[in-house]
Parts: sequence; structure tokens; C-alpha cells
Amino acid sequence: MGKLPSTILRRPSLAAGSLPSSSALPQTAATTTATLHRPTLPAQCTNTQAAGAHQVRHATFVARPRRPYMFTQLVQLSDGSTFTVRTTSPAALYKSDKDTRNHMLWQPSEKSLKNVEVDEAGKLAAFRERFGNAWNLEGPNAPVQQAAAAAAAAKKDAVEPKQVEAAAKAPKGRAVEEPAAAAAQQDDAAAYDSLVDLISMYATEDKSVKGGLSAKDQARKEKSGKKK
Amino acid sequence: MASLRGLSRPARSLPLSQLPRQTYTACSIRCASSQAAKAEAEEDLQELETDSLLHAPPLSEEEKRQFRPWKRALDRQFMLPSGRYQYHPPKYNRGPLHPIQSPPSSDPVARDFVPGPFNFPRLKHTYQSTIAPDLMTLLYEHTPPGTPKNETPQRLRGWDGSSPYHKNRPLRGPRGGPNLPLLERDITFKNIPEIKEVTIASYVPEAVKDPEHLLAARTAMLALTGTLPTVTKTKHSIAQWGIKEGEKAGVKTTLIGNAAYEFLDRCIHLVFPKIKDWKGISATTGDGSGNLAWGFTPEELKLFPEIEVNYSMYPAKMLPGCRVFVKTTATSDRHARLLLQAMGVPFYGKV
Repeated sequence: MGKLPSTILRRPSLAAGSLPSSSALPQTAATTTATLHRPTLPAQCTNTQAAGAHQVRHATFVARPRRPYMFTQLVQLSDGSTFTVRTTSPAALYKSDKDTRNHMLWQPSEKSLKNVEVDEAGKLAAFRERFGNAWNLEGPNAPVQQAAAAAAAAKKDAVEPKQVEAAAKAPKGRAVEEPAAAAAQQDDAAAYDSLVDLISMYATEDKSVKGGLSAKDQARKEKSGKKK
Repeated sequence: MASLRGLSRPARSLPLSQLPRQTYTACSIRCASSQAAKAEAEEDLQELETDSLLHAPPLSEEEKRQFRPWKRALDRQFMLPSGRYQYHPPKYNRGPLHPIQSPPSSDPVARDFVPGPFNFPRLKHTYQSTIAPDLMTLLYEHTPPGTPKNETPQRLRGWDGSSPYHKNRPLRGPRGGPNLPLLERDITFKNIPEIKEVTIASYVPEAVKDPEHLLAARTAMLALTGTLPTVTKTKHSIAQWGIKEGEKAGVKTTLIGNAAYEFLDRCIHLVFPKIKDWKGISATTGDGSGNLAWGFTPEELKLFPEIEVNYSMYPAKMLPGCRVFVKTTATSDRHARLLLQAMGVPFYGKV
């Protein structure tokens, strides 16, 4: 318990060292009516009557702080180090799978975090040699544009996507089987040089599937068409 | 010596001031020679009574008559609290001159008592043990003694004196605005930047239409910070945004001390690394006077352990984003950035 303040609430009947019940009663009544919240004591009345007689307007409310229950949580980082935090989360232990200890931005010298592929047998290199990389797609042949053109043609014919896939697979299969084919066949094969082409083709097709242009764009397109 | 107990009872009824008190002055001990001290000690030992108090003679009739505890209670100027008395601090503070005073907030019975701290935040410990000394040492600028101090020039503009009314006019503020930007102070042993407070604010304009959004925002903020946030209102009426002045559309809360450090620790070490394709915080952040800020989208807010633990509690698509303002004691963004960089916040881009 805290320290008792200097002014402890006193029993009014025991004031002034005697027990004059007749005189004490009216006094208490007077004081209780005079004061608002604070039962002032008769012995002190002489001192505080000036303050207690009037309503105190400069009283500030001492608010009890509202605070939610806080738990002590043990946080374990990905390297196994632990520390405690005060948190609203009721979980006793928080295991982090991704944090500053296994992130490239904070651990730039950590080799295990680097995205280095292991290619001892050279299979990945062979694949890349055969089908190319993502960054040499836009070569001199521009296979992406050809693929887009093919897709447009397919759309015109209202071919099902499955059929397009089948049509796409056939020349690709040929290209795989006979890498050194005739020049005319090479052009066809270049259109679907890699799987990336196929994916990008569907991606372009997807736009029309979703509903095409928005109403605003459609109106703009029509306007421009009329002008022409 | 056995009658000491009996003697003490009538003596107790006397006021304390009337009792002769044996006072030992430090002087007598200091001035006495060692032999005299020894002799005194022996005398003191002789004064010790050897027989037990249990063998003391019974009280005489006179002593019994003198023993009147009720008289003591009557004569007592102040009432003692009863056995069931419990002290409750006053509900109102009525000023320093009022006889009834609130106990200090550190007192457990005080109304505004907040228990704690229950742990020492890791980031605070790092700051005190590593970051602050490092900043002080690495940013030390040596000026040889006797170097003349280069005084800051007067940044306020004077009057040209073209009018006689210019006399005794106060200096003008800078062009373009009334605010004089803060000057960067050198980092010394008594001026090391530190975290002052962290303010987390969330603007929820959807709350104007649907107050449920405000509830979700308050709950999320409460879970994040552990403090009850205050609801903010819109400042201006903007018809295009569908807001009117004084509508409740946001929450904010300010963390100070340990809570601020813990929140920053969680941001830096647990949340930032989990954000996908995150480059860092833009280096151009800051208000020019050492307060940096960044934001979290709702998807990023979801990564906080407190939100993550019961994410399904929040109604769908109602979790707001938030902005975090870190206020430091640094007076320039450069120093504030140094502090946060030392704490582990990555910055990207040109300053």
C-alpha cells in the first residue's frame, strides 16, 4: 500500500479530544453539505473552510489509463537467437521464418542467401543453349511478335485455346526433333521457339478473354476509327 | 533494570518532546582517545541486564491505573485509520495548495499508475550499448583548441530603413514562409540523436460511409501498439472525395519510450524482411527537421506478428494501411537517417 497522506480522514466524533456528540453532529452535517466530493474534517475546517465552502472549478480528473493486456512473448529469429517482447499477441513463442538474419538486404555477404544455381552436370546450361533465355527472346527474329500475329490469326478463326496449344506443340515438337530443318520450316519453328513464347501468347490472349477494352477505351477507339 | 518496562509505560503518555533524549554527538566519539572509548564500551556492556523480562515483578496498582490506552486515543490529535481502512487516492487533482494531494504516479495505489517496465527492449539496449557510442565516435569532428567559433549568421531579414517606420521593427522571417528551418547541430557527447517517439496514423475515408471500417482500424491499431488510439477527424471538406469537415475518418496513436523502441524493432527485424520485393525506405523521406516517415499497405500490415496471429478476426478487406512517423531528437534528416540506418532500416535512392 502506498503512503498515507498527511491528511487522513478523521472520525468527526473524536475531534478536539472530547466526545460532544451534540456539537459534533451539526458540524458534520454542515461540512458534508459544504463540500462536494471530499469529506472535510471538522478539526481542519478552520483551515480549509475557505476552499471547501466553494465549488472547486480547477479540479482535474485523474484518469485511470486504459491499457489492454500485454503478454510477454519470446521471439525466435531465424538464426535461433531469442528475445522477449511485450505484445498484444497471446502466442507465447513467435518463430520467425524470414527476418533480417536471412535476408539479402541485411546480410549481403551471406553466400547461402544468394540465388546461385547448382549446375554440375551442365543440364541447365544445355537447356538454355537449346531453348534460349528469357532475355534473348527479343532477338533478330522477334519471335514474340510472330507469336502475337499467330495468336491474332488463331483468334480470327475462333479456334479453341486447346487447339492453339496443339497447333503450337506440333511445330515445337518438330523443332526439337529436327533442329537442322529447312529454312521454311525454321521460320515456323522460330515462332514457338520456347515455352516462354507459348506462355506470352496466352498472356496476350487473356486480355480479350477477360472482356477486352473497358467502356471508356472502347468509346475512344470508336472515336478514333470514325475520324480515320 | 527490570523495572524499565514498567517505567516506560507512564513515560509513553508523555509527549515525545518532553522526554529527555540521550544524544550521542559525533564529536565526543571522535575526540575521545581509544582508551576512553574502550572504557565506555565496557561500561555499556555492564549496563546490559542479564536476567530475563519474564521474571519481572507484576505491575503495581499505580502502574495499572496509569495504563490508559483509551486516554491516549482521546488525546491523540489525529485519528488513526481503522483496521479495514483502505486508502484510495483522490479522483481529482485540486492544485498544489490543496490539503488532499494525489500520490505520485509511480505509487502503485495511484490512479494513473502504470506497472512496468517488464523487459528491456532489445533495440534500446543496442542503441545504448552500440549505436550511440558509435555515432558519437564516428561523427566526431575535431576542432583544434583556440579555433575561432564560426557563428551562425543572422537568418532573419532586416528592414532596409527606407521608411522611418522601419525603426525598431522586429526582423522578418525567411522568404516563402514563416518557418525558419532547424539548424543541424554537431553530434557531441550531449547531442546524440535518439528516438523520441513514434506516431502511427491511419486514414480511413471509407469510415465516413461505413463506421465498421473505423472499428476495424481501431482494433488493428490497438493490436499493433497496445495503446488505445484516438480517432481523427477530417480537416477539410472536399466534395470530390466525399468528405466533410469534422467527420471521423482515421485513427492515430503515439508511442514513447520502450513501446516506441519495441515497435521499431518489430518493424525492422520482423516486418520489413517479409515484404516482397522490398527495396528499403526512400532516402528522400523526412520533413527536414529529423522526423522520418514510411507507410505500410494493408498487405504489409498483415505481416505484423500481432495482426498475423488472429488475422481472421478482422473483417475482410477492412484492414487499413498505416503511416509511421519516427520522431528523433536529430535536427536534420541526415542525422535521423544515420540513426535509423544504424538501427537497421535500409534506405534506397538518391538523397
